[in-house]
Amino acid sequence: MIQNILILTLNDLAVSFKNKSIFLILFIPFFVYVSLLLVDEAGVDIQKTRIGLIQSAPYAPVMLAAVQSADTLFTVLRVPDEAEGKKRLKEKKIDGLLLPPEKEKMGLVLVVVQKESILSLSIVQGFLALQKAVQGHDINWISDIHQLQEGGIQQQTLPTWILMLALLVSFIILPAQIAEEKEKKILLALLQTPMREIEWLTAKLFLGMILIFIAVLFLHLMGGFDFGNALTYFAFIGVGSFCFSSYGIFLGFLCRNQASARTLGVIFYLPHLLPSALSDFSQKLSAVAPFVPSYPFFESVKSILLVHTGTTTGMFWAWIYLFFVGSTTFFLAYRLMKKRWLM
Amino acid sequence: MTNPVKVIQIFIRKRNVLFMQIALEQLTKTYKEKRGLLPMDLAVEEGELIALIGHNGAGKSTLLKLLAGWLIPDKGQVLVDGINLKNRLAVVRKIGFVPETPNLFDFFTVGYNLRLFARLFHIPLQRIEEILQAFNLLAFRNNKVQDLSKGLKQRVSIGRTLLADPPVLLFDEPTSGIDFEMTKEIYRLLTEFHRSGKTIIFTSHRPEEIKTLATRIIVLHQGDMVFNGSPQMYFQSEIHEKLYL
Repeated sequence: MIQNILILTLNDLAVSFKNKSIFLILFIPFFVYVSLLLVDEAGVDIQKTRIGLIQSAPYAPVMLAAVQSADTLFTVLRVPDEAEGKKRLKEKKIDGLLLPPEKEKMGLVLVVVQKESILSLSIVQGFLALQKAVQGHDINWISDIHQLQEGGIQQQTLPTWILMLALLVSFIILPAQIAEEKEKKILLALLQTPMREIEWLTAKLFLGMILIFIAVLFLHLMGGFDFGNALTYFAFIGVGSFCFSSYGIFLGFLCRNQASARTLGVIFYLPHLLPSALSDFSQKLSAVAPFVPSYPFFESVKSILLVHTGTTTGMFWAWIYLFFVGSTTFFLAYRLMKKRWLM
Repeated sequence: MTNPVKVIQIFIRKRNVLFMQIALEQLTKTYKEKRGLLPMDLAVEEGELIALIGHNGAGKSTLLKLLAGWLIPDKGQVLVDGINLKNRLAVVRKIGFVPETPNLFDFFTVGYNLRLFARLFHIPLQRIEEILQAFNLLAFRNNKVQDLSKGLKQRVSIGRTLLADPPVLLFDEPTSGIDFEMTKEIYRLLTEFHRSGKTIIFTSHRPEEIKTLATRIIVLHQGDMVFNGSPQMYFQSEIHEKLYL
């Protein structure tokens, strides 16, 4: 009996090696380890933050002099007025905007994109340190913090859920379905009809895009969340779903069977989800995140839903980038299909 | 001045292409570790019923898959009615392939599977009724494919291939894994298709079974064609003894 259990266990391990499931066991701890390396440690050097100051506003001369002299902590940028400052903040050209006190004997108002972020924390910490060095203990220079993002915690987490849904459909559902059609030779049967390769690929692309759209709409309807700038929002959901669905189709073509497709899907899913979703909590992660295609999608959706930004130059380039990644992976999938790759 | 020998050669070549329904020219396929199919030339005339025989790994399935367009050859070409197989859309209605394992959408019904392929072929749905009737599948039209026996699945698979009524039919091990009665039924169908004028190529492990069925036998051994002739010639030759006795 024990011998049989041993034989079967070894066989199961061999199967998991063969269908590459074992890679998940190796990959997930490795990925978590790398992510932890990228999460900011306590006492880590705070990177320079860009502070916007209104050109003609009456800031306290002591504070101005201190901020300008602390050039290792802050880069000071002058903006003509509050509206322009907020615009630059939305476009991520500055990290925080300091507004002059509304009443006498009050401190400055710091405007940031999101209160609970590593950037806001580093600005406040930097100002406190500066103040302590220059004035000792006195009334805080910053007396209030405003954020541009609207809504409660539910609304704040919405972009993360949307990214998660888009990646789930693209990297888990689509590759598995494609690999199944390859594994059961159904795709080859379809290729014996007058159907063109491009038609099959487009149908799969539409499937991914439709599933993502339905999931996003369902999430909005259930939670009662508004769409922000609806046109820009749907343009991004459209291009994002195109990009990730094409990516998923390409991954599906790299696999011979469903088990491999699921493994590969998870291997791609986590590095696309976590750096983007966690970028607000770590400066290191936010430096790494732009290298994955999920980041421009996530950042744009976040801007539209939480800051209610319309189209900006940054978002235009994000759109182009997503379209480029989608088109490239779609073309690669087409080439693999033409070669009957792993069929 | 034009070389008359060359003109005659071109004429003969064109004539062959015109009269041969299928022409293989130096068709080659190799896999990573083993030989699939060594360079092969072959001509198949319209209305032939050819049995491809040989042991496992001889290259029978590879040859059929190359003819069906499932595999892309490393070298050489296949011409069907003079059209290169690379031009898939031009020949897709000319060749029907029935693989060893039926590749159907298991979780859908027999009727759904046939409807889907009929739509992709742009043929009237009336044809489905004809196929269901011809293959005694009327009673199973609403059954899921996954609930059918292997023999029935094979019948659905053949029925699907015949939807577009292709003049060339390829069968990979059509009787593999099915019982004696169903084997007889499959051979009856092959004979019927042959009588209706179709060109048929099928693979088999069992030469005795196709003694009276095939009009030509091709023997493959380790990717090479070692015999190509009539069944009478085959059974009189040493090949049969060497390979099977």
